[in-house]
Amino acid sequence: MDNIEQAPDITAFLASSIHDMKNSISVLINFMEDQLADIETQDSPALRKMAPMLYEVKRVNSNLIQLLTIYKVGNTVYPFDLTENSLGEFMEDILSQSKHLLDYQGIQMECEFDPDLYWYFDRELVSGVISHALNNSAHYTQNKLRLSAHQTDAGLEFHIEDNGQGYPPSVLETGHAIEQGVNFSTGSTGLGLYFSSMVAKMHKNQGKTGSITLKNGGAYGGGCFILRLP
Amino acid sequence: MAIISDASSLFSSKSFLIVDDFQGMRSMMREMLKAFGAKDIDMCSNGSEAIAQIGKSKYDVVLCDYNLGSGRNGQQVLEEAKFRNLIGPSTAWIMVTAEKTSEMVLGAAEYTPDDYIIKPINETTIKTRILKAMAKKEALFDIEKAAKAKNHTKALALCDEQLKNAGSNTTELLRIKTNLLLSTSHYEGAKQLFEQILAVRDVPWAKTGLAKVYFQTADYDTARSLLEEVVEEHRSYLEAYDWLAKTLEQIGELSEAQRVLVRCAELSPNSVMRQRTLGEIAQKRGDLDVAEKAFRKTLVLGEHSVLKTHHAYLGLAKICSDKNNPAEALKILSSVQKEFDSAETTLQAKVAEGMVYRKSGDLVNAKKVAQEVAATVKEIANRVPSQISVEAAELMMETGDKESASELLQMAVKNNHEDEKLISLVNGVYTKGNMQEEGKKLVEASRKEVAETNNRGISLAREGKLDDAVEMLRNAKTMLPNNTRILMNLAYVMVLHMQKNGHNNTLIREARESVDRVAKLNPSEKRLSQLVGMLEALPG
Repeated sequence: MDNIEQAPDITAFLASSIHDMKNSISVLINFMEDQLADIETQDSPALRKMAPMLYEVKRVNSNLIQLLTIYKVGNTVYPFDLTENSLGEFMEDILSQSKHLLDYQGIQMECEFDPDLYWYFDRELVSGVISHALNNSAHYTQNKLRLSAHQTDAGLEFHIEDNGQGYPPSVLETGHAIEQGVNFSTGSTGLGLYFSSMVAKMHKNQGKTGSITLKNGGAYGGGCFILRLP
Repeated sequence: MAIISDASSLFSSKSFLIVDDFQGMRSMMREMLKAFGAKDIDMCSNGSEAIAQIGKSKYDVVLCDYNLGSGRNGQQVLEEAKFRNLIGPSTAWIMVTAEKTSEMVLGAAEYTPDDYIIKPINETTIKTRILKAMAKKEALFDIEKAAKAKNHTKALALCDEQLKNAGSNTTELLRIKTNLLLSTSHYEGAKQLFEQILAVRDVPWAKTGLAKVYFQTADYDTARSLLEEVVEEHRSYLEAYDWLAKTLEQIGELSEAQRVLVRCAELSPNSVMRQRTLGEIAQKRGDLDVAEKAFRKTLVLGEHSVLKTHHAYLGLAKICSDKNNPAEALKILSSVQKEFDSAETTLQAKVAEGMVYRKSGDLVNAKKVAQEVAATVKEIANRVPSQISVEAAELMMETGDKESASELLQMAVKNNHEDEKLISLVNGVYTKGNMQEEGKKLVEASRKEVAETNNRGISLAREGKLDDAVEMLRNAKTMLPNNTRILMNLAYVMVLHMQKNGHNNTLIREARESVDRVAKLNPSEKRLSQLVGMLEALPG
């Protein structure tokens, strides 16, 4: 069988293209945030048009980052950086990144954590998981969000809760399947959940492994996303 | 003391350098810093300018883009600044980057930035990170300064002091403390601390550190299994690969060591040091193709790096010579003497040059070079590692100057009379010069002579004649400055002297010097940490 052409290695192209797209999107986000900051009145028509645009662009950006990270972890070239982080600084970072968008969308955010707590995790990966969950909740909530973090027997737990309709049963099942390590067929949220679950599992300590849970109910009765890090 | 409470006045009291190749990015960062309150801000657009600028003025904070276009990247600029001592413990280096790389995050601790920020950058993030980095530098300044001045006892005391009211810098303090313990050969103390840390949390640096303790105390099997655990659990933790390869090399598993290094080089494709080590292991195994590729890559990577190394040039020259390409070998050897301005490197290159001529059958030139080598080595033999003297002796032996060669070999034996590896190298050189029997006798005589001096020194000490013992071993040390047994015994006798007769500034300085020299020549010397402990325990 000499005449079979070898299939090109598409993954390398995909990875470099994603990298390139991610850089363009970053420029776009910086530009849009600058523009939004220049709009003086909070109630202008421009703002109302711009906010959903920013949401969509951020979603694309976070998807690209997740794809790239999954690719790198798969090739074991991701520099997993397990260091002690200040929860206070970490949360402040997260809040400052999501602040713009939540303000424009008119969503109220409540936050609760112990600023003096220190915990071991990879700053970029966990920040990716939390931002993604916040963005997701912001999309489905009515008008309220709650981000909290506290220490439990399982380790450090992050909760992201909203007052939306909650997760549909299909998503709850998918989430369950990922946790079981079962092969799953994706809905639209497959990537984010896969990424979050992968990040959780990369965090190990003393025989314990990190995990995620999706449920309905929680503080505001909507969706509740939980990330546990041992 | 004035307490500066608001961030703005803190920013206004510090100096900043922005390094970025894009004009737009530079002005955006400057505007940000100005908004935070900074007044003293310089900017430059590439690595060379940055090095020049850092050489001229002192900065509190450097914000450096990782990708600086052609020429050096941000990591190489940082390495050069640290290597050349252009920045001290008070400068915070923050790397701004599109993505984090292994070198930046998990590379050698002395060359990692204080923090990194992933683009797109956000005002609040950059502000908190800068404030945090400045606070950390300030908190650790005294410790790092003491450590840099080799005042380890003070540095350790300061660490303990700060660990008492631990806060944000706990991990950093523990890392510094364990490093201090390791570098001063306090292996027992280091081991305890690592085990204490690991009992609470699986952190790769602590497990790797524990493996280092086992390596230094010659328990290579335990070191190996710990390191294998680390690379299994933390596949991108580079330092563990480095030590695993080193351990495997030590126990003679070279092909396994090569496999580990290939993997590690994939993870950190820009590391000069790892390509070089890969080349050396492959060369040792006789895998010339892999070695050649690795050495050539080392040269390319080293082009803009202050960490470039003459070893790769020498290794590559030898491979060219082995592959019957003496012309290229000689070209490489002449370039290494131009690129590296050091007597030791020049000597090594000269020796290699002579070997290339000899191998290619050009005995006239080989002899000429050997004469030059003989003249130089006489002057600097005591300052270069004994292995290099043995290489020089081999060239002299093979080009007919048996007398000078033998003299040099005896010196090497006397400096290393208990080092079986070196002795067997020496015997090999005698065999090549058809002096096997004669050489063996000479080697034995030299070993015996040194052993006797040592024993006499120790007997004098046992008899309580401590002054005489010190005097005798001190003279031996002057003759044989690289003999670890003599250095150890000298330090030991000096400790006995001070235990009996009290503190003595000269003795304590000399004893410390001896111990430091041993730690450098043979860090795995078993009694070293015990001796260090005795020295520290001396009153006053």
